[in-house]
Amino acid sequence: LPGRLKISPLFVALVCLAFCSRLSRMKAASICTNSQTGCHFLSLANLFDRVIHHSARMHGISNDLHSEFELYFLPSKNRVSRNCHTSTILTPNGKENAQRIAREELTEVILKLLLAWRDPLWHFHQNMARHHKFNNLSSNKSLEMSEMVHELRKGVQKVAEKMQMLGIISNSLGTLGSREALLASDSPEWRLMNDYNLLYCFRRDSNKIQNYLKILKCRIVPEHGC
Amino acid sequence: MMRNVGGVIVLSLLLVFVQLAAGESFSPPGTPKNIICRSPEKETFTCWWEPGSDGGLPTTYALYYRKENSDTVYECPDYKTAGKNSCFFNKNDTSIWVTYNITVVATNALGRAFSDPVEIDVVYIVMPNPPEEVTVTVIEDTNWPFLRVSWEPPEKADTRSGWITLIYELRIKLENEDEWEVHPAGQQKVFNIFSLRPDSTYHVQVRCKPDHGFWSEWSGTTFVKVPDYFPRERSMWILIAVFAAFIILTFTFIWLSYMKIHNLKHYVLPPVPGPKIKGFDKKALKNGKFEDIFSSLVVSDFPPTTSNYEDFIVENLEVFVPEEQELIMEDSKDLQDDSIKSENSTCDNDSGRGSCDSHTLLIDKGGGDKEEALQSDQEGSQDERVPTSPEEVMEEDLLACCDEKNSPDISEKVKFTPSLISPLPRYNLMNQPNPPEIGKKHCLSDSLLNPDSLPSYFTQPPSTKNDFRSNPWECNFNHKQHPLHPQTTGKEHLQVQNEISWVHVDRTEASLGVQAPSVRSTEYVEVQRVSGGNMVLLHPVSAGQENSGTMSHQTEHYSRVKTVNNDSGLLLLQKESTGEEMGICLSEEEVESRATSNGYTASITPTSEKPMVGINSTLPILDDRMASGYVDTATMFGLPTY
Repeated sequence: LPGRLKISPLFVALVCLAFCSRLSRMKAASICTNSQTGCHFLSLANLFDRVIHHSARMHGISNDLHSEFELYFLPSKNRVSRNCHTSTILTPNGKENAQRIAREELTEVILKLLLAWRDPLWHFHQNMARHHKFNNLSSNKSLEMSEMVHELRKGVQKVAEKMQMLGIISNSLGTLGSREALLASDSPEWRLMNDYNLLYCFRRDSNKIQNYLKILKCRIVPEHGC
Repeated sequence: MMRNVGGVIVLSLLLVFVQLAAGESFSPPGTPKNIICRSPEKETFTCWWEPGSDGGLPTTYALYYRKENSDTVYECPDYKTAGKNSCFFNKNDTSIWVTYNITVVATNALGRAFSDPVEIDVVYIVMPNPPEEVTVTVIEDTNWPFLRVSWEPPEKADTRSGWITLIYELRIKLENEDEWEVHPAGQQKVFNIFSLRPDSTYHVQVRCKPDHGFWSEWSGTTFVKVPDYFPRERSMWILIAVFAAFIILTFTFIWLSYMKIHNLKHYVLPPVPGPKIKGFDKKALKNGKFEDIFSSLVVSDFPPTTSNYEDFIVENLEVFVPEEQELIMEDSKDLQDDSIKSENSTCDNDSGRGSCDSHTLLIDKGGGDKEEALQSDQEGSQDERVPTSPEEVMEEDLLACCDEKNSPDISEKVKFTPSLISPLPRYNLMNQPNPPEIGKKHCLSDSLLNPDSLPSYFTQPPSTKNDFRSNPWECNFNHKQHPLHPQTTGKEHLQVQNEISWVHVDRTEASLGVQAPSVRSTEYVEVQRVSGGNMVLLHPVSAGQENSGTMSHQTEHYSRVKTVNNDSGLLLLQKESTGEEMGICLSEEEVESRATSNGYTASITPTSEKPMVGINSTLPILDDRMASGYVDTATMFGLPTY
C-alpha cells in the first residue's frame, strides 16, 4: 500500500534519536547491575584489563621480532652505545619511582611513549616490506606491531578520559603529554637508528608500557586481580 | 714507606723463589666463566661466576660493571651477601630497563684474567622464589572428595602493586609413583584436584614464573592423605548384586522352561511341515526302490496321448551338424497341415522358443548363424520332395531350437522338414520315465549327442555350410535315455510324413552329453533292429495320424552307419528299403560321394560335392550299441517320402 509507506523523515529522525539515546544509556548499564559508582569502577577495571592485555600482546610480538632479528642478523658486538629516541622521555626506572609518581604523570608517560613510537614503527614496517628483509610471518608481525601501537594509544586515551570523568585524575593530562610526545616523535633521531636498535628499544618500551599500566591499574582499581 | 714496600717486594720474591725451588709452577689465573645474574623480585639482583684456575697463587676476583650509555666503571658493591664468587646489587644500585655490562676479573700475583662481558637487563632475568604457604585440604562435602590446593606468592615478589605478575604451576603424584602430574594454574592461587584414589597419600608441589622470566624452584612437598570413602562403594555393590541376581533369575527361568523341551520348542520353533506328494511313499524311498516311487509320480495322462495334435505345433528345424555331430532332435509337433505350409512363426504357447524363432531364423540365410530359424515350414514342403535336391533343403541354418544361446557353437545343423515330422500319434515317450516336454525346446537332448559317438546326425561341413541345402532329411531323435531302444518299440515314432525329414540337432558346444534332454521328441524313429554290421534299422513310427497323405512312411528304415568319425560321430545313412531316398546325415568330412549302400540318398549338402557321407571309422561304441540294438545318438530320419 503506497499510502502507508510514506513516512515523514522527521518522524524517522525522532524515532532514531529516542532509540539511539536509549541505546547509549543501555550500553553502560548492560555491563553492570550494581549502583552507579560500582558500575563505573567495574567498567574501568574492564577497560584496564583490556589495555593491559593489549600491551602484553604488543610486547610479545616485539619480543619475537627482536629475537628473530638477533638470530638472523647478528648485530655487531658493539651495541652498548644504544640510544633510543625515547630516552628523552623521563620514565621511572624502579618500583619505588613508579609508585611515587603521580597517576597523571604515569598516564602521561604511557601516552608519550605510545605516541613516540607511532611513526618509527610504521616506517620500520615499510622498510621491512620493501626490502624483504623479513619473511611473511615476521612482516605480518611488524605490521601488527605498528597497528597495535596506534590502537593501544587510543585505548589508553579512553582509560584516561574515563578516569578524568570519574575524578580519579585531574584534567591536566592532555596538554602536557601531547607537546612532549610531539617533540619526541619529531626528532630525527629515530631515523638514524638501525633496525636492530629500533627493535631493541621498542621491546624495552613496550615492557615499560605494560608495567606502568599494571601499576596504574592496581593503584586505581586494586580489587580485581592485583 | 719505601722500606715497607721494598720489604714486601723482597718477601714476595722470596716466596716465589721458595716455591720455585720447591718445584711448583705458577701461572696467571684462568678466566672466570659462566656469569649468571638473577633477580628474585625485579628490584635487586645477584651475579655469580665460576672462577678459573687460580694458577697456584692466591687469586682475587673483582666484578666491574658499566651502565648503559655511560662509560663509568663501577665495582661490585657487595661481594659477601650472596656468598662466594658472587656480587649482590641492592635496590639503590639496581636500575630496571637499563643494560648492565658486567665483567669479572681474576687477579693473582702473576697476572690478571678478564672474563667475557655479559649484558643484562634486570627485567629479563627475574627468577622468583617458590610460592609459599602451600596448603592442601580434602573437601568432603560431596560423596566424592577432592583436593583443594592453595598457596601464596613469594614474599619478596610484589604482585600486589602490579610490579610483578606471576603465573603458577602445580604438580601432584601418589606416594609410590615416580611420575608427576603437572597442572598449569594461570594467575590463580587456588586449584582443585579430582578423581582421587581413596585411602592413599599424595605429594603436591607448586612453582611460579613472571610473565617474562624464569621458573622458580618447586616448593616444598606437601603431603595429603585421602580418606577411604567406602560407603559410596557399598551402595554400588548392592546395586550390582541386585542386578546380578535378577540376571540369574532370568536365566534360571529360561532353563526351567527349556526343560519342557517339547512345549517350549514347539512354541518357539514350530515344526517344519514335510513334503507331501500324493502317491509318494517316503518309506519306499528309503528302501531304495526307485522305480516304484517314480512310477507313482508319473501322471498317467501326461504326455497327452490323445489326438490333440492340433494343439501341438511341429516345428522342423534345420540342423546342420558339423564335425561334432551333435544332434539335438527337436521335437516339434507340427500340424500336419500346417507344417509344410504355414510353419511360419506359428508361435503359440506350445511351441518352444526354437519353433517360434526358427521361422525368422530360417529366413536368415547367413551361414554360420547358429540360431537359424526353422525354415522348415517354408521350404521344407513340397519342394523338398526330392531329398537329393539340396536346393530345396533349407540349409545352413541350424535350427537351434532349444537354445539359441548355444548357437554360436552350434556347428551342426540339421534340417528338418516339418512335413516329415509330424506329431506323433502316440507319445510313447510319455510312458517313459522322462516324458517329453512338448512345446518346450524342440530339441533333442544334448545327451543324445555324444561328440565322440554321434551315431548319426546331419552334419554339414562347415565349409559348405552356407550353401548347404540341407537335405530334407529329417532326423528325429528321441533323445531320451533310450531313444532308439528297440524294445521300446512303439515308443518312438518317427513320422516321416514328408519327403523331407528334418532332424533338428541342437548342438551345444561343450557338452553334448551333458545336457539333459529338455525336450522329448515326440517323434520317434523306431529302431527295428540293429544289425551287427553297423546298421541300424530305423522304423518310423507313425500312428494313425492325420499326416499328409504324402506321407509314406516306411515301416522299415534303417540307416547304415557308414563311418564314424573320431570327432564327429556317427554318420548314418538311411536307406530305405523301398528305395526311397534316404536322408543322410553327413559329417562334413565325410561327405564323400560314395554310395556304399544302395539307395542311400544323397547328402544334405546338395551343392556339396559329397553326396554321401562316409564314415571314416567306426566307433566301437557305436558297434556295441548297435549290437545291442540301442543307438543313443542315432538319428532317425525318416525317409523322405515322395
